[in-house]
Amino acid sequence: MKPLPVKRNFFTFGVFILIVLALNGLAFLAIRFYSGLGAVTNLDNQTPWGLWIGVDVAAGVALAAGGFTSAALAHVFHRESYSAIVRPALLTAMLGYTFVAFAVCIDIGRFYYIWHPLLMWNGNSALFEVGICVMIYMTVLYIEFLPIVTERFIGKVNLPGVLAAFNKPVEALLKLLDRGLGKTMFVFVIAGVVLSTLHQSSLGTLMVIAGQKMHPLWQTPVLPLLFLLSAIAVGFPMIIFESLFASKSFRLKPEVSLLSNLGGMTIPLLGMYLAFKLGDMFIRETFVYVLRFDYTAWMFIAETFLPLTAFAVLLSGKRSHTQGYLLLASSLVIAGILLNRFNNFITAYRPFYDTVTYVPSVGEVSVTIGCIALLILIYRLIVIYFPVISHEKN
Amino acid sequence: MKKIHFILIPLVFFGFILGKVFTPDTEDKKQISTEFSQDKASQNDAGRFHDNSLLRVTQKLNCKSCHESEYPTKDYPGLLSCPRSDMISVYHSPEEGPEFVKIDEMSDYYNGVEFSHKVHAEMSEMSGGCTGCHHYNTTGPVLNCRKCHESSRSREDVSIPDLKAAYHRQCTNCHKQWSNENGCSNQCHTPKGSDVSLVSSSVKSKTHPVLTLPAKLVWETGAKTNKIVTFFHNEHVEIFGLECKSCHNQESCIKCHTVERNIDPAKLTRRDRSIEEHHKPCANCHMGNSCQKCHRDRELSPFDHSRSGGWVLKSYHSSIACEKCHGTAMPYIRTGHKCISCHKKFSEEFDHKLAGFTFSEGHTGLECKNCHPDGDFTKTPVCTDCHDDKSFPQDLPGTRK
Amino acid sequence: MHKQKVCTYKVLLHPRRSLIYFDYMKNLDRRNFLKTAAVGAASLALGSRPVKAADKTLSEDRIGILIDTTVCAGCRHCEWACRTAHGLPAGDLESYSDNSVFKYYRRPDNSSLTVVNEFENEKNPMLPVYVKSQCMHCEKPACVSACIVGALTKNEDGSVTWNDDKCIGCRYCMVACQFQVPTYEWHKSIDPHIMKCDLCSERRSKGLLPACVEICPNEALLFGKRSDILKAAKNKIKRKPGTYIDHIYGEHEIGGTTVMYISGKKFDDLKMPQLGTATAPGISEAIQHGIFAYFVPPVTLFALLGTVMWITKFGKSGTAGCTKENEKLQTENKNETSSG
Repeated sequence: MKPLPVKRNFFTFGVFILIVLALNGLAFLAIRFYSGLGAVTNLDNQTPWGLWIGVDVAAGVALAAGGFTSAALAHVFHRESYSAIVRPALLTAMLGYTFVAFAVCIDIGRFYYIWHPLLMWNGNSALFEVGICVMIYMTVLYIEFLPIVTERFIGKVNLPGVLAAFNKPVEALLKLLDRGLGKTMFVFVIAGVVLSTLHQSSLGTLMVIAGQKMHPLWQTPVLPLLFLLSAIAVGFPMIIFESLFASKSFRLKPEVSLLSNLGGMTIPLLGMYLAFKLGDMFIRETFVYVLRFDYTAWMFIAETFLPLTAFAVLLSGKRSHTQGYLLLASSLVIAGILLNRFNNFITAYRPFYDTVTYVPSVGEVSVTIGCIALLILIYRLIVIYFPVISHEKN
Repeated sequence: MKKIHFILIPLVFFGFILGKVFTPDTEDKKQISTEFSQDKASQNDAGRFHDNSLLRVTQKLNCKSCHESEYPTKDYPGLLSCPRSDMISVYHSPEEGPEFVKIDEMSDYYNGVEFSHKVHAEMSEMSGGCTGCHHYNTTGPVLNCRKCHESSRSREDVSIPDLKAAYHRQCTNCHKQWSNENGCSNQCHTPKGSDVSLVSSSVKSKTHPVLTLPAKLVWETGAKTNKIVTFFHNEHVEIFGLECKSCHNQESCIKCHTVERNIDPAKLTRRDRSIEEHHKPCANCHMGNSCQKCHRDRELSPFDHSRSGGWVLKSYHSSIACEKCHGTAMPYIRTGHKCISCHKKFSEEFDHKLAGFTFSEGHTGLECKNCHPDGDFTKTPVCTDCHDDKSFPQDLPGTRK
Repeated sequence: MHKQKVCTYKVLLHPRRSLIYFDYMKNLDRRNFLKTAAVGAASLALGSRPVKAADKTLSEDRIGILIDTTVCAGCRHCEWACRTAHGLPAGDLESYSDNSVFKYYRRPDNSSLTVVNEFENEKNPMLPVYVKSQCMHCEKPACVSACIVGALTKNEDGSVTWNDDKCIGCRYCMVACQFQVPTYEWHKSIDPHIMKCDLCSERRSKGLLPACVEICPNEALLFGKRSDILKAAKNKIKRKPGTYIDHIYGEHEIGGTTVMYISGKKFDDLKMPQLGTATAPGISEAIQHGIFAYFVPPVTLFALLGTVMWITKFGKSGTAGCTKENEKLQTENKNETSSG
């Protein structure tokens, strides 16, 4: 099995729906860029960050963690058997981070100053660290993706019309690039892993400064560690989920044995995250807030029990052969981490002078869904044209 | 009559010096131009103003009033916080002051402010007196605000408010309710150039009805038993010598007047007060007393030394002041019932002739306790310790004088 | 001695606090924090590393403002003056006598950088308590620590100001601020500003007082050196123990603030958040510097992963093929580890 472009039609009924969703999101985006954030979002001076930061950015970064966990597994630990999953995971990470960067652009008020952090540094700021790391990591991801592009085009460069004269120089350039990258790729792979651990944890540091405005269930000095552990834990489930989903969509045979091995590896990672999360809760004695069983308590219970259930499912041993169990477990983990990010940035944020409780507006939800739809569309497009997914040629 | 000279001469001298020191300079005089009502009588009142203030200087000043140590030096003055409120013992009646004062020193946006001084002075009679506004004014003529309060807001020592703030604080201490009808330009200030007077004519001759001191107040509480509480206002003032301010502090008009604007202000209402608020004035002194002290099932009878102290005030004792025995400071000192409780040097110095007889030779060497056991001189002396057949007063240990 | 008093005051207050904020305090309780820190210490190398102090040292003569809530009469002239000084639509000064705005609790926003709110006075309903809110200009401001591009500056004179040329509009300062002061122009798509009190830096550069300080008829705002202002506040409390509670809000709160309050009412009842004495950016910066500490942890991680990569590759060199690359890797990694 080798990574090959998937020969399928781009347009299906599902794709049509996704295009509609994307267009809907883009329509709201137009309003946001014309009349400001206040016109589309429910954000106000008491709740300056909402769905776009909580889900699009924070959860987006977390769910793109498959990129660095798989890279670490296949390249750093040299488990070559897993190389089949590296490319789809890399593509997801690349698109995920592009989506994150896009979300940041639409959320910040002066999107045209997005480059400012490159020149104006504030080493004390967790956000600065996240921003810089994400920018560098995105570049690294693009570099890591380049070999896929060169592989696709080497020997097949066929520029139309007059440009055909450039076919040979472009071909030579691609080959040079391919060779150069092949020799230096390990630097980028390691850099990618290091950068990921840094900004995944710093994303947790972001909310520490909110101090008392954060509900005590979430506000803890070990928040960065929890963020990092949860990102590592969600990496493999994300690959499993995505692989199963893509197989279904493209009607390919899923590599269940490989995925179930990934599922097995998720157990200790997930266990570590849960241990730290629950340990933190018991040490700080914040379980008293859980015992109140109010809205926030239920949200906390949900974000804890979803991965806990997945943990139980994976432990039960049935994982090894059934696709259904793997899908269930990975979905539960993803939902748990997604909810965790949502909670950290939205549910937990209860400022002192909160006059109106923040609920995401239709516009915010539309834009988020639209962006996700766009992301899936691009993924599909790339998978069809580039050698990403490993499968038997048919 | 001769003594009057001894008092008057130093007083006049003292007054002269004070007058020299405290007479406001000409610039200050301009600042508060006083406006009197047209009749001559009030002008005379104002004339009396200074003399009275000088004649009523009674407080005793010594180094320790202001300094911590007996020997303050220039480098270490050891200043105490200013005892200004204790220093003032001068009393001015509201009629002595001007009826209106025009404050026009700071008028940058507005005309000068007409302040109805007399009405406010009358009100202050019921809540702390002149010192409520004229603080830091120890003795002598009333000081100009400007004397202490600088007119510039950016200044070195900000602990004393500037002049603008000093004026406004005087008013906004009580007048804190704003509304569209009742803003700056409708309440005190008129815009520059306008000649509308904001002081309504009703204020001009207004006086507060004279307050009469209650003798006794009786309350009925909601309790099942011991529901009657009696308070003898007159005794607290006259016998126990409490000053008004020791209980009536931090009070304002709403103690008696309703806060609703549309209700006739003459109608008095009582605010509902919490149990703590009710007990607070009493608890200052009666902290250690049991509830029964005040809460009884019947009204209390007036103060009776024999009932409260368990000792009848006889002969000479009934006419002396309480502090002779019980000290000047509250709470009063509890004394025992024995003579030596108050007459400390009784035994050594007592001339027994005062009891009506001189000792015979055989009795002069005896100690007091030989005949008056337990140091109780109110009981009949005991003779039976030495004499089987003698008893007082049939037999005397000496000869009647 | 004063500190101790503050503590007892807090203890006294706690049971009466609304439950959730009491809990918040408990959560941020120092002991609990240390306990949790111990958990994180292993991975974050917290605590052992000295936390970097604020970039600029504060002047000894830095500004202090004392807001005496017992003196404020609620005339809202400061709102008018502030708007006028900052070029915001202010309207007629006389219209500020309208007290209907007190019906709802208000916060500073992009139309008014300071607002006055009314609170009930149980002792005397005719004399309500008024509290002015604006930027507190913290001694260790969370917003300055948080700002991604350093658009917010803690100046030597104590003021915290915003730089229009740097800001990217991310609103992290609003998330970080414990007093929820920075506000945002939500309905502007181009050039939205972060709006907050700048202590009238423009006026002060001309030698004028801040607009609110200058206009206040009662001088409820005492403006001067912070040290003098603190002294004045302590004197006021000492002189009138019946009028004031023994607490200067902002003296120690989150490491101290430039604007401080004294009051006759508990600050909880005046909707002032009860904050500990730990600085707001303290924990966050400790973590941040712990992770980054002169880039040692990231570089170490890089070297570690490189070593792992080399070891695993070496172990499988027979089967993996591609020996050329393998050799290169080995040499590279040797360099990496020795330098790391």
